Amino acid sequence: MLKRFLPLLLCFFLTACAAPEPAQQQLVAMDTVMTFTAYGGDAEAAVEAAAAQMRALENALSRTRPDSEVSRLNDQGSGTTGAALGELLQAAVHYCGTTEGAFDFTVSPVASAWGFTTDSFQVPRPEELEALLPLVDGSAVTVEKTGDAYDAVLGPGQSIDLGGIAKGYAADLVADYFAASEIEHGKAEMGGNILVWGTRPGGGPWRVGVMDPARPNENGALAGVLELENAYAITSGGYQRFFEQDGKTYHHIIDPSTGYPADSGLTSVTVVAQAQGRSEPGKPGNGTMCDAYSTAFFIMGEEKALDFWRNHQKNRPYEDAFDLILVTENGRIVVTEGLAGRFTPDAESGYVCETVS
Amino acid sequence: MSVRRSPKLRPAPWDLAVIFAVLAFALACGALVWGGGTEGLTAVVSVDGVEIDRFALNGSAGERVYSANGYALTAAVSPDGVQITASDCPTQDCVRMGTIFRSGQSIVCLPARFILRLEGERETNSTGVDAVIG
Repeated sequence: MLKRFLPLLLCFFLTACAAPEPAQQQLVAMDTVMTFTAYGGDAEAAVEAAAAQMRALENALSRTRPDSEVSRLNDQGSGTTGAALGELLQAAVHYCGTTEGAFDFTVSPVASAWGFTTDSFQVPRPEELEALLPLVDGSAVTVEKTGDAYDAVLGPGQSIDLGGIAKGYAADLVADYFAASEIEHGKAEMGGNILVWGTRPGGGPWRVGVMDPARPNENGALAGVLELENAYAITSGGYQRFFEQDGKTYHHIIDPSTGYPADSGLTSVTVVAQAQGRSEPGKPGNGTMCDAYSTAFFIMGEEKALDFWRNHQKNRPYEDAFDLILVTENGRIVVTEGLAGRFTPDAESGYVCETVS
Repeated sequence: MSVRRSPKLRPAPWDLAVIFAVLAFALACGALVWGGGTEGLTAVVSVDGVEIDRFALNGSAGERVYSANGYALTAAVSPDGVQITASDCPTQDCVRMGTIFRSGQSIVCLPARFILRLEGERETNSTGVDAVIG
């Protein structure tokens, strides 16, 4: 009996190693490259719908397209918005409040003065920044749901830029498509952000490399590797977009309290949270939260970020829990306890890794 | 009541031949999938998510010029891979990306909303990770 079936068994085991073919879409949207990969379920439909949704989202949220909803709101100071912008604005106001303004989506007049919105970089004069800083106050923005739409009102002279939160929201929407299409394994790579869905196709957690902020130009240089299933991991770092003038480097993450690029001692912040169990599909979820907090913590610095994390762990429900990887200027990686055993520092990076609780 | 005895399990020459044939087939598949070189790679070029060109890397040596959202990009194709050698985009990130030669690698020009991606039998990754964030 065995001799008859041995070849068949060999065939089975030798071919079973191959992972199934994925459905994949890659596009440029929201100023970054997005790649959606899905296995199982209605994978082709899921990645196509996700790509179409990203284009629609970009049309609504772009600050540089004159016909976008955000541009109209910035021009007119108030107006009726669609669901995506309305929901995202509500989330932005919320996270501006929880971070006491460290995340502030009304910082765009200051970012424009630095040239980060037009790629015409310059160091603004101090008096110019002083004049612009009073406009930075996310709490002055009001958003109210009226039927299927939202009414939004900005403070006098204010303008908004949702770039610090929109890709996280986009990741939430991709998670909705993956859930609705019963995707078994998938990932959505969106610049510095990722959503991993289920396990890897061959089983086991997805292996997500965290770029080493000290070696951004070395292809494949990592601070470490995260092992994740059903999770968002979103990174903010000053090395992603910057310019140099008179021998000094200026990056794009502006501290809303000073008007200058944040100088908190951190070189990158990664926020990780669960990517399942959202009770209201289409609403901002953990992806949005991770995006807002990664920016805010980069500005806050290590001590305040860890205080915030500890306080959040005590007072928030499990679904909203998140963990952090903080890379510091002085050669340390600080990992919060929820990621213990799931983050492996890269041996060549030279960082000293510590876990905190 | 009669007891039926199992036949002796001794592999016959044909069984061994089948085993070797299966192993040889598996090794050939492995070489095809994980082997080096750019053979079997296809370059897929898209602008605004719409595919505008597709060519096998092998046998396409030379230059190709693309127009994308007001920018002109020149791709040089060689047996070693493909690279963008010239672009009039403001960032020049696409030119700095250098040569790509493995399945799954991409050259991206954000201002032109241009992606040149290599596709093959299976994507490989030199860092041993599924994705990189940062």
